[in-house]
Amino acid sequence: MKSRYADENLSWIAPLVLLVIAIPFLIRGVTFSYKYYLYVLNIAGIYTILAVGLDILSGYTGLISLGHAGFLAIGAYTSAVLVDQAGVPFGLSLIITPIITGLFGLVVGFPALRISGMYLGLTTMGFGFIARRLIIALRAWTEGSAGLEVSNPVLFGFEFANDWTNYFLIFTFVVAVIVVARRVMNSKIGRAFMAIRDSERAAEAAGVNLTRYKLLAFFMSAVLAGLAGVLFAHTMRFISTDHFDILLSIYFIIMILVGGAGSIYGAVLGSVFIVLLDFLLIPAFKDWMALFVAIEVADIQSLIFGLIMFLFIIFQPMGLYGVWLKIRIYWKLFPFNPKKRFT
Amino acid sequence: MKIRNFLLLTFLVALFLGCAGREPTPGVTDSEILIGNIQDLSGPMKELGMALPHGSNLYFNYINGKGGIHGRKIKMVIEDHQYNPQKAVASAKKLVEQDQVFCFYQVIGTSPCEALRPTLEEYKIPLIAPATQSGTMSDRSRRGWEYIFHTDTGYDKQANILVDYAYEQNGDAKVGVIYQDDDYGANVLKGIAEAEKRHGVTVQKEAYQRGATDFAGQVMNLLKGGATHVIIGGVVREPIIVMKTAAAMSYAPQFLGISPTMDHRVVLGAGKEGEGFIAANFAQLYNSDVEGAKLYRELFENSGTDPKVMGMYNFYGFMTAMVLVEGLERAGKRLTRAGLIRAMEGIKDWDGKGVFPGISYGPSDRAGTESVVLVATRGGIQQIISDWIE
Repeated sequence: MKSRYADENLSWIAPLVLLVIAIPFLIRGVTFSYKYYLYVLNIAGIYTILAVGLDILSGYTGLISLGHAGFLAIGAYTSAVLVDQAGVPFGLSLIITPIITGLFGLVVGFPALRISGMYLGLTTMGFGFIARRLIIALRAWTEGSAGLEVSNPVLFGFEFANDWTNYFLIFTFVVAVIVVARRVMNSKIGRAFMAIRDSERAAEAAGVNLTRYKLLAFFMSAVLAGLAGVLFAHTMRFISTDHFDILLSIYFIIMILVGGAGSIYGAVLGSVFIVLLDFLLIPAFKDWMALFVAIEVADIQSLIFGLIMFLFIIFQPMGLYGVWLKIRIYWKLFPFNPKKRFT
Repeated sequence: MKIRNFLLLTFLVALFLGCAGREPTPGVTDSEILIGNIQDLSGPMKELGMALPHGSNLYFNYINGKGGIHGRKIKMVIEDHQYNPQKAVASAKKLVEQDQVFCFYQVIGTSPCEALRPTLEEYKIPLIAPATQSGTMSDRSRRGWEYIFHTDTGYDKQANILVDYAYEQNGDAKVGVIYQDDDYGANVLKGIAEAEKRHGVTVQKEAYQRGATDFAGQVMNLLKGGATHVIIGGVVREPIIVMKTAAAMSYAPQFLGISPTMDHRVVLGAGKEGEGFIAANFAQLYNSDVEGAKLYRELFENSGTDPKVMGMYNFYGFMTAMVLVEGLERAGKRLTRAGLIRAMEGIKDWDGKGVFPGISYGPSDRAGTESVVLVATRGGIQQIISDWIE
């Protein structure tokens, strides 16, 4: 009998793990300022976890969310309060916090049963604002908008105290999340999600329980955002409402669009690409530009982001992952490539 | 023989000490000191992102022109954090690791500065004069406090002083406050709470969201509550709109403002409705007669910059540069990060060419100034109307 995951290629996991382990050593070998690059990669890793969750919700199930920064904030603050004020161990918070965030996901997902498209986008955006207000209102625990200092992650008696150790902590979860998400999306659940995305009525006619699966999509997505939040709080070690503004939610949407929605890999490629672009390439580009023209107002950032989204949506609607798929097919068929398909 | 051994030993010890002493400090060469500044060049406060470093550079260039500090010229590298705490940390790591700066200076914003604390601890690198007046900057219960030297009087202290002033003017005063519902407002409220306790009164509190442009509700509530003195914890736009709204309602309390409202753009924007507005400030004005302000105006005019840039924020960059230069001077020829911290701790009642009320630090004191002057708008001109109030 054919096993459940027989058509899913698993051979990529080992090279992926090796690559993830090798990267920090490579960076350390090449440059003295490796901690800076690792810090940026850590951010990329945390956002990757969240983007995978958003991909499950938006890419697979077709439910848009403009409020994912809110879930991230709830995850981060919940864990900070649980660990530092209630004395819950970090390891336990890694399990409890995502579940709590997931419950918030259910609450937000509830209206999604009736509304869709732009209205859902607005509702979730509203949730992003509510989450921020909630954090400010719960001053007793969160210190309002003054921000909260957070302790280092401690797991099995080991304290992750710098960017180097944080990298391994974060990327362990990144790999696990990618593998699990990919498998779940190839299971009955994933197929139900895609059926909902493609046609709600057809899905319902085929026996998919809309209520259950839509709520499940929101729950899973929020759980991953919560997990990202836990890692965010304890590795950044300071959180404030300034970290989680509405732009961050839009940033996540850009990640999955540029990466290619509905493939998990796309979310990974997209988040790494966008974070590197934002933290490394655009500042470098600005410095380089500054050699030629004096730019006093450095608004290039938003300009470049807008342009990238624009170009991707027009020319590569399947995103970076789509580009990769095309290259792969090109090589498989080489030299018998029908020219039209690849222009 | 013994003497030879002794000499050899002395020589070796001297060599060892010499080497240890000459271990290079990052960012310091024989001719240059590199300092890192993280500003908001493309975020919500980008207009300050240009004005502050420009003012700082006026003074640095002046000092460099005079031969620098112990023969070293100051060079400032500016990074952009877009008022995003996360980017502030990334920029800080980049400055420390890639550019190899000696210290941080003037990083703008409360949450970006707060986010830097673990980084300051990790590299043991000082941050001189963070560009925020939040009292949390000199709070010793927070992580990495020993690396932050805060120059300005905290918002909490200012609010405290303003409430005192209101009761001094009128024993039966009713005080109200309009505050921004964020970290800035939280710090203002902390000061208000202390003043409430001291005077045994309750202050009427009205909140607004950052970016709000309509204050009719808040002003109406204050009018109903009968507040005679209203403290505005806003920046530039808020006091203008609040005062105009109140005038439209024929409501004329004495308006008092926390230091960010002490910008001359408030005077220009509020016009005749802003007449009599009193704002607190932690330093002398850029157009005052003290030596530091005169030097600033002279250097500014010689620089040939657009005169619009001149003002409170530009001068703020200038005067904090004086603090940093003073610290570097005191740290001496053999400059290290720990040495700068010790030197800064040695600053006592130093008034920066008359600009400050007297900055003092100590091994357990990181708050530079703790007093303010009151600046009133009279006939469209800002004048100092008080001595330093503590």
